[in-house]
This record gives sequence, structure tokens and C-alpha cells, in this order.
Amino acid sequence: MANDNGHTLVVVYLRGGADGLSMVVPFEDDRYYAVRPTLAVSKSDTLALDTMFGLHQHLAPLEASYKEGALAIIHGVGSEDDTRSHFEAQDLMEHAGYGGGGWLGRYLRYRPSPAIGPLATVAIGKATPESLRGAPSTVTLENFDTFDFGEDSRRYLEDMGALYGDVDGYLGNAAQDTLSAMDTIMTLKDQDYSAAHGALYGGDAFSRKLRQVAQLVKADVGMEAVTVDLDGWDSHFTQAVLMGSLMRQLSQGLAAFYQDLGDKMEKVTVVVMTEFGRRVYENASLGTDHGRGGVMFVMGGGVQGGRVVTEWPGLDDAVLEGPGDLPVTLNYRDVLAAIMKRHGSMEDTYRVFPDYTAEAVDLYG
Amino acid sequence: MNLSRRQFLGSATALAYLQLSGCDTNPTWFGQFKQAALEGPIQVPLTGVQSPEFHVLSRLGYGPRPQDYKRIAHLGVAGYVAEQLKPEQIDDGECERRVRRLEALAAPLGELYEYKEGYLLKELTRGAVLRATYSERQLYEQMVGFWSDHFNIDSSKGDCRWLKVADDREVIRKHAMGSFPALLRASALSPAMLWYLDGRANRKATEEERPNENYARELLELHTLGVEGGYSQQDVGEVARCLTGWTTLNKGIGKHGKVVFRKGQHDDGEKLVLGHRISAGGGEKDLEQVLDIVALHPSTAQFIARKLCVRFIEDDPSQTVVDAVAKTFTDSKGDIASVLDTLFQREEFWAARGEKFKRPFRYMVSALRATHSETDAPDALLDYLMRMGHAPFQYPTPDGYGEGEAAWSGTLLWRWHLARALAENRVGGVTVDWNGLKSAFEEEQQVLAHFWGREAVAKEVRILKSSPMKAAVALAAPAFQVY
Repeated sequence: MANDNGHTLVVVYLRGGADGLSMVVPFEDDRYYAVRPTLAVSKSDTLALDTMFGLHQHLAPLEASYKEGALAIIHGVGSEDDTRSHFEAQDLMEHAGYGGGGWLGRYLRYRPSPAIGPLATVAIGKATPESLRGAPSTVTLENFDTFDFGEDSRRYLEDMGALYGDVDGYLGNAAQDTLSAMDTIMTLKDQDYSAAHGALYGGDAFSRKLRQVAQLVKADVGMEAVTVDLDGWDSHFTQAVLMGSLMRQLSQGLAAFYQDLGDKMEKVTVVVMTEFGRRVYENASLGTDHGRGGVMFVMGGGVQGGRVVTEWPGLDDAVLEGPGDLPVTLNYRDVLAAIMKRHGSMEDTYRVFPDYTAEAVDLYG
Repeated sequence: MNLSRRQFLGSATALAYLQLSGCDTNPTWFGQFKQAALEGPIQVPLTGVQSPEFHVLSRLGYGPRPQDYKRIAHLGVAGYVAEQLKPEQIDDGECERRVRRLEALAAPLGELYEYKEGYLLKELTRGAVLRATYSERQLYEQMVGFWSDHFNIDSSKGDCRWLKVADDREVIRKHAMGSFPALLRASALSPAMLWYLDGRANRKATEEERPNENYARELLELHTLGVEGGYSQQDVGEVARCLTGWTTLNKGIGKHGKVVFRKGQHDDGEKLVLGHRISAGGGEKDLEQVLDIVALHPSTAQFIARKLCVRFIEDDPSQTVVDAVAKTFTDSKGDIASVLDTLFQREEFWAARGEKFKRPFRYMVSALRATHSETDAPDALLDYLMRMGHAPFQYPTPDGYGEGEAAWSGTLLWRWHLARALAENRVGGVTVDWNGLKSAFEEEQQVLAHFWGREAVAKEVRILKSSPMKAAVALAAPAFQVY
């Protein structure tokens, strides 16, 4: 059923600009402790990833997948957008250039076998992210249990099919997608779900969403790309408190998902991204302002993990960019290009990244 | 029972309050505000494309109620537009009586903190639904919605959960059809905005402190010039410096949330904003200078004009119409009613009939209006707004809910869902008198023309005729998704 060589790409977007320097701590860099007198994470509060970097203790649940070689971390990564505006940076990153549609939408449309099933593209949540703009179809899905139309559901949907049948454009497409999705969902929602391998999802919305993703992957409904957002990383103010809770949600959710899927992770890649990292210098309100280079995580899908992929420039003032930001030394597209190559056999990414010549980061060895 | 109620009960207005609060427990409460019964026969224009009557009722407002055709027949389409441009002259007593029950919306700033978390958001949302549905000042309510998006505040952030009530009342609603510079100034000094975009934490008391740029950036990017408006990173930093020192009080009976300027936390050096030199020592006057530079900047005129054209005309308006609207913005010094007057006189406005896709809030409200529903905006309706991702005051980022169809096409499922629930009177707290509605029109065709703004075509008639759930299908149909 799935076209993407049976792969599923799970895109987790950390909205607001997540502070990579707190998540993947450069504990051997004295400058880090000098420029962040109150916010720096001490080495003892991290789990060593290699000789230079440590994982924040609130991300500890990710350690297992890292040690098993199924999690790669990319540091100092980002886009060329230097407006430091959430909307510009998210917009550029999700559109991946100034062409029409989002990168994921274009990828799904332009990869070698673009036929697409009813649940091929799923946005978990209330809204469809910009990255999916232009996708052949998108289903926005919150949960399986709340779709009930009441009596005569089938008849009602037939009437909808008849009325929307010859409507063109977005409205007609949206209706067809909705009708197809309803069919699959009606089947799925009658099934109970319990996580496998003792995986323990959290009670928060992010874990709930990832559990739904796991359910859809296991139901083999041909889901090729799915987006999940985790909002609230815009830590201008009292960053440590705000990020602590978010990091715990992120790591618990991802770790449970990894454990739940087990061997199925071979064909599932989770990529975690954010619009930018944050300023190296902390501000006066125990927070950090918008910066440049950040982190990405790539989990599963055969990634050669257990390493931090980076071209680390250090944190000396001389290398910092603009108002004092970690420069972007790896372009996020080069990370995505590697995944597209693996998932969709897409060798040439120029249609996905119209104004950028991607050179895939070596993620798969 | 919270402190404010206890205090309130001791106050001089307690008697009036008690009279109202007695209604709280009365299950037929909304009966006393019930709309007048429909008087038929109602004449609906039968046109191939959306009628001009439907167009003005849908673009200036949230869509036609059955009784609106008589009013338009009396005023004329142009007369209706003229009337809507002067909302202060329209009697809105009936709607205000419905909203008055949401007493927290009238609570003074300092008392807002006495409400339980979550309570105010619900009151605000119910107020928004009730006003959109029942207000006679439909254009004014459109503008309230427009500015609520433009100066978006997510009421879940920090003290916004209390302070957004004051922002809604004293910034958005107070200035919605007044002067843009006044609206901008009110927003800049709104306690909720100072919380939402961290302005309250923007200070420079020592050499080392760096300003918090969050508000300064959004002021330029989203509230005034637009991201292409010709400002630099340097300008963002300089605006942030100008605004250092403005903050909110975080305690004090009746003063909690009040905005103050702390001279000691202000960066009093010289600044350069968009080429304008702001001399050292300006103190709190720096804010006025910054707002004077940006409020009527040519880029602001373009940015606001384009957004208004997108909202009122089409998703991709021509530069010609944007320029015309921007010119009035500049000439009138940001007088919002004059700007709208220009927009509604444009040929492009009249040519765009049926071109817009209803956002979910509009979809819901237009259905309530079209069906002459009686409602007190219950939780069930608010749940639908959540599912469709369009609950007022809950958009997380400062850019506000988006326009355009792509952002909302995933919501069709819930529209179909709501259509059936309304048709079967299954939404608790909403009542539709379907028989009364049907009999107010001469024939079924007229009801459809009322819902859809145009005559149903043969195929639509055929499908509806054979359907066992006509009302639901009519509200779920593609023709009811556009305006």
C-alpha cells in the first residue's frame, strides 16, 4: 500500500526556537560557561555523548536509542534565514525556499512514485503545518474516537460524496481526502491499542500524539509522512523552567515511540527540528533571544547514530554571528536530503529545495 | 465563589447584580432575550452567483439571518454599508443584554486576577460567539475579529489568562473602528501584550543587560511595517531599547497588572530607529516617538491595507486595490472606518462574490445566524471551535489565525459533523426551530438561496430532494463553505 518503500517519515517540529545549547551541552567549552553565567548546564547535569557534548539530564530517556546507534544528533544546524523571526524562519524552513508549497508537500509530490493513499500524509493535531502545503493530500487528525456522525453515517457521507464530487480545487480535494480518511478511521477506531515492549508513553499531548502515530504505523495504512508539533520553546523568559518540562515531554514521547515500534523503527525515521537555536548570550530575564544554529535529532530508519554530527566552530566572540549567535555550520536541508534519498529513492532534490543544491549529510554510513 | 463577587455583593450595584444572577439558575434563561419570531414571507434574491445582499451581509458581517433581507430591502445595499460604517449609531441593546450576563468581561483590570483560571477564557469566547451571532454591528464585530488576529494574544501565556479580558475590551473593542495609531498605542501599553511578548521583561538597568527584543520585533514585523517593510535587525534592537522600562505591576489590590514606566530600567541613551534619531534622555517619551515613526509609515499603510483586502476581498488581492486602500490609510491618518469605506467602494470588492472560504469560526457563526438559532454559546460550540483549530484567543504565536483555504481544509470533517448536530438539534444549548424557519420562506428553494447566497443548481436540488437529512446536507454542502 505504501509507496515510499514502506517507510514512514515522522517530522517533529519544536516551535518557538529550541535552545540547542541547553539540550546538547558543549561541556568542554569554557566559553559556554562564561557567556551563560546563570543558564549554562553543568557537566554533571548531563549524560556524556562523546568527549565534547552531553545530553541534558531531562533528555535522559533518549540515551538508550543513542547508545544503540539508532539516534543521531546534529548540532549547529539551521537555515540561512537570519531574520531571527519565528515566522520568517519557520516559514523559510518549512517552505524550504521561496517556491510554492512546503518541503514535505513538494517531496511527496515530486518523489519518483508519487501515487498517494488516503492516509499517506497525516498532520497530528488541529492544523496542517506549512511544510505539508502543496502535498497531494493531507488528513488533519486529532484522535480516532471523535468522528462519529450519528445514525446513517454512510448515507450522509454518500450525499457529501455526491455534492463535493465535481467540486474542483482545494475544496474538492479536501472533501475526497475527508471521505477516504473516514473509511480507514471507522475501521481503526474500533480497535483497542496498547503499546508494545513495555513502552511507557507520558500523559501529555505530545506522547498521546506519538502513540497515535505508532498506531497508524502498525495499522499499515500507508502513512508516508506525518507531522507532530511540540510548541512553546520560545524561551525569552525563565528558560530553565520552561525548557525542563518540554525536554521531558519530548524525550519521554520519543523514547516510548522507539520502544513501542521495536523492529518497525527500521522503516520509520523520526526527524526533530526547530526554526533556530537561541542566542549564545543569555538575556536579563533569565532567558535567551532568537539565535541561529540549533540542533536536530534523527532517530530510526537505519540511521547510523550514536554520534553528534557537527562542524563545531566554538563559541568565541570572533566566530559568533550577528548579535552573538552560534553560526549555522550545517544546513538543515542537507539532513533532510539524506532522509529523502533513503525513504523515497530521491537522488536529486532540486524540486524540493528549488534554490539550494543539497549535499546530503552522511547519516547512513 | 471568588473575592470579587463578595466585594461586588457589598457594592452599590449589588441589587442589579442579584437580579441578573437570579437568571443564572433559570434553565430558560435565554428565553427572555429570545429573538422575535420570524415573520414571513421572507423574500430572498434568487441569483446565479451570490447576490449583492448576501455579499454585504457575509463580507461586512457573519452572514445573513432570515430577517436581514427586509432590513436590506429597506436600506438598500449601499445604505446598509453606510450604516455599518457608523456602528456607534446602531442600537445593539438586545445583543448587549445577552452579553451582559458574562459579568467578568466588565470587571476592572485589578479585579481580573480574582477569577479562577480558565473562567475568563470561557467568558471571552462565549462573548465573542454571542456578539458575532447577535450583534447588529456586524462590521464592527468583523473588525474586532480582524484586530484580535492582527494583535494576537494567546490567553494561555502567563498572566494573559487574566489580562486578555482588559485587552479585548480596552484595546481591540475600544478602537476596532477608530484610529489605527490610537489602537496601536493602546496595544503597546496593554498589560496583556506586555506579558504576551515579554515587553514587561525588557529592561536595561545595568550596562550588561540586553533588551528583550520580542515585542520590538513583532511590533515591526506583525503589527506595523511587515517583514518586508524595510527595517533591519539594528532597528529591532533600537526599538527594543526605546521600550525598555515599561512593565506591569505584579501585585497590589486593584493595581495588579497595571502598566508602569520604570525610569531606572530604561535605556536612556540615544537611539536610531528607521533613520530617525531619538535623542538621549527621552525616557517614557521614547515610546511615543517610536509609535509615531511606525504607525503611519508607508510600509504600515501597505501592510494593513493588504491584510484588509485579503480579509474582505480575496486571498490574493491586486496591488491596485491595495494601493487605493493604503492611500486612504495614509490620507486619513489611519482612520479605520474611512479605510473600510474606500475598500467597500472598490469594484474588486463587488467582483469577489463567493471567492472566500469560510474559516471555522465564520462557518459556525454563519450557520447559527442562517438558522435563526437561539443559543447562549455553550461549551458544545466551543468544543467545535477547538476541534476545528479556531478557538478565539488561543492561537499560540503572535501572527494570529491565518487566512486562506489551505490552512483550513482539514476542518471539513468537523463542519459536516456540526451540520448534522445542528440539523438534529443535538448541540446542547443551541436550539433551531426548523419548522418555523422553513415556514417563514415561501418555498424550500428560498431557504437554500438564503443559506448559500444563490439559487441551488439542478444537481444540488436533486441530491437534497432525495436525502433523508436535508438540513444537515444543506449546511455541510460546498456552497455553505464559501462566501
